[in-house]
Amino acid sequence: MRMPLRLVAVVAFIGLCTTSLAWAQGFKPTRPVEAVVHTGPGGGSDVLARAVAIMIEKENLLPVRMQVVNKPGGGGAVAAAYLAEKKGDQNTIGFFTGVWLTNPLMSAEAKISLRDLTPIARLVLEPAVIAVKADAPYKTLADFIDAAKKNPGQLKQSGGSITSRDNVVRQLLQKNTGTRWAFISFPGGGERIAALLGGHVNMMVIEPAEAGEHIRAGNMRVLAQISEGRLPGFPNVPTLKEAGIDVPAVPQVRGVVAPPGIPKENVQYWENVFRRLTQTASWKKYIADNQLEDGFQTSAELVKFYDEFTDRMRGILKDAGIKIVR
Amino acid sequence: MEVITGLSDGLAIALQPANLFWCFVGVVLGTLVGIMPGLGPPATIAMLLPLTFAMSPASAMIMLAGIYYGAKYGGSTTSILLNVPGESASVVTCLDGYQMARKGRAGAALGIAAIASFVAGTVGVLGLMLVAPPLAKFALAFSSPEYFALMALGLAMVVLLAGSSMLKALLATLVGLWIAGVGTDLFSATSRFTFGRMELLSGIDFVVVAIGIFALGEVLANMEAPEQAQMVPVPKGLRNLLPTLQDLKDCRFAFVNGSVIGFLVGVLPGAGSTIASFLSYGVEKAVSRRREEFGTGVPEGVAAPEGANNSETGGALVPLLTLGIPGSGTTAILLAALVLWGFKPGPLFIPENPALFWGLVASMYIGNVMLLVLNLPLVPVFAQVLRLPAYVLFPLILGVSMVGVYTVSGSLFDLGLLLGFGLLGYLMRKLDYPSAPLILGLVLGGAMERALRQSLMMSEGSLTILVARPMSAVMLLLAVLILLVPLFGKFNTWRLRALEQKGG
Repeated sequence: MRMPLRLVAVVAFIGLCTTSLAWAQGFKPTRPVEAVVHTGPGGGSDVLARAVAIMIEKENLLPVRMQVVNKPGGGGAVAAAYLAEKKGDQNTIGFFTGVWLTNPLMSAEAKISLRDLTPIARLVLEPAVIAVKADAPYKTLADFIDAAKKNPGQLKQSGGSITSRDNVVRQLLQKNTGTRWAFISFPGGGERIAALLGGHVNMMVIEPAEAGEHIRAGNMRVLAQISEGRLPGFPNVPTLKEAGIDVPAVPQVRGVVAPPGIPKENVQYWENVFRRLTQTASWKKYIADNQLEDGFQTSAELVKFYDEFTDRMRGILKDAGIKIVR
Repeated sequence: MEVITGLSDGLAIALQPANLFWCFVGVVLGTLVGIMPGLGPPATIAMLLPLTFAMSPASAMIMLAGIYYGAKYGGSTTSILLNVPGESASVVTCLDGYQMARKGRAGAALGIAAIASFVAGTVGVLGLMLVAPPLAKFALAFSSPEYFALMALGLAMVVLLAGSSMLKALLATLVGLWIAGVGTDLFSATSRFTFGRMELLSGIDFVVVAIGIFALGEVLANMEAPEQAQMVPVPKGLRNLLPTLQDLKDCRFAFVNGSVIGFLVGVLPGAGSTIASFLSYGVEKAVSRRREEFGTGVPEGVAAPEGANNSETGGALVPLLTLGIPGSGTTAILLAALVLWGFKPGPLFIPENPALFWGLVASMYIGNVMLLVLNLPLVPVFAQVLRLPAYVLFPLILGVSMVGVYTVSGSLFDLGLLLGFGLLGYLMRKLDYPSAPLILGLVLGGAMERALRQSLMMSEGSLTILVARPMSAVMLLLAVLILLVPLFGKFNTWRLRALEQKGG
């Protein structure tokens, strides 16, 4: 039996229509979206998630509200496990940082890694600067390194936990220049800055927006910036490479994941929401105000990034003498 | 002069009807949040953040700050009535507040807490207004060795919190210090006492322990006497529900002590209101003439910590507004709010935004008056809660405790911990172990360990750093003196006995 050509065309057309309709009608969140963060209110991820929620509402990118849910604990382990438990949940997302990848390397209890969740998008890279007190004798990074060479182990840096980016930068610098200085951990960001401004430590790695105000007030000086290119706020400060130290710029990375086991169209939907977010004027202003770098990457690119990042961190942490469990 | 013009400009802003309204909204919300255990100011402020974009920054700041200091007023309510600390800074208030309630003086305790909060809250704003810049320098001079000495001073107070047996008090302190050690070590990323549970990686929340030991332990101990229909007598008549003149007289020094200690500790980014309240309670007890009555329900035992946690708010705003340095969860979210509104918090914030700063300061005076007017009439109302029969009151306490703990973390694991600590609290009561030293060890343990290790890293392993710096040396000396207090007491009794024997 031969089908008339016209019928074939009609059938094909209907088929096309229905598939494209299905795509257009595809997934949309139906309940308010839970955005899980691993810090308490006021922490870095919490602040980003709340700012994103405000921008998404303003730009009308979601048909429902987005609520930030704090699941602090275990350096991200609790939030990651919470997302893993929500397998297949279509109205939950999470905001991750690099800690979600490094923590499982060192802590046997942190069993869920980013790889166990569904990648959605990478959002920002947070650069940093190396700052000293304004009345410190070091005018350049080379001055500081020289001083560290002359007094091995006697200079001090204030920072967060030993697994934080601050210490990673220190490890890289020490290895590259054959120097060593002490790293003193403070749990709160405020205490780290207070330790530097009070003259109790010699140097710290600080976020550009935070440093900006202390520089303007004449309390702080920046020796180098940890970013690929010069940041708009610091046109006269060399990057690490420009300062003659060839180490990778380790940014703090932040992005979005979803629970495991969600359909592909949901991933596309979310990827699209965040892609559109990063194209809005509010997002660009947020990035500029906070001196961040736009680090948008799609779900597929993010998986590759996981591997690179994990491998690099594993090496750095091993060098730092930290026990690796995975 | 500058202060007077600043304040009058500030009053012009704070007295605008819209700002008065938002100030009122803030302090009412704060009181409610403080009363409910679990939901704290940081979570509330974070939830309200999207709303603030529709307001002027001054109104928004005034409201959010209102939530912050308003919560300190409400925090004492459940501590006094139910032995359930409404927030971490009100744990110490349980010690004497709840005992006052058991003696039928709940109204007086609540009244004293409100008055102490008002006095100290106002002193805190005065401090913020008058001495913020020089104090910011003091906060920067204070570093790890000083923090260690401060915590050692606090821990020395254990000898004052001990009940009948010093040995039992010290054992309880050790358990508290041990609990403080649970979790991931900041310096080496090693997990300690986590037993393979990721819920323990970030340590045990102090509020879970405090609510378990104080509230659940108390309920369990009271359930042994089921025939007791009403737990606490509540006197009739409004007059008997308010503090007496004698109470206020007894609290004179506590008002001053709480205000000053709270403010000074608040200025330090690494301390906080819980430590402030413990320190002022300890100081109050150390200088008191009726030291042995503390813990049985003396009003100054309520006034000192409640004052301290209120003036701490004014103190904590000093590093936030003069340096852009947050010292706690609440100030961190306030800092984030300022950034989201487009401000640049830092050393130049006040000079560049004088209207916002002075408007906030003026609103805090007004807000404290509002809080006093709001809270005093509530005292008789709240005191009626204790009229409830035990078969209603006990489940109520259990419910409030569990909901409180669950709202903090949203984790069932923490509920299990709560029950465990409830049992521990019960056993400690049965075996006559004091619970305050355990809580003290837990509050100070983590910060003390960190400060010691930071100090030793700064000095490359030499302990002399702790005594070579004047501020830390003075505090350590004070700590030693406090440790000697019980010995003086013993010495005195020996001397009296010797005199008696001579005379006889």
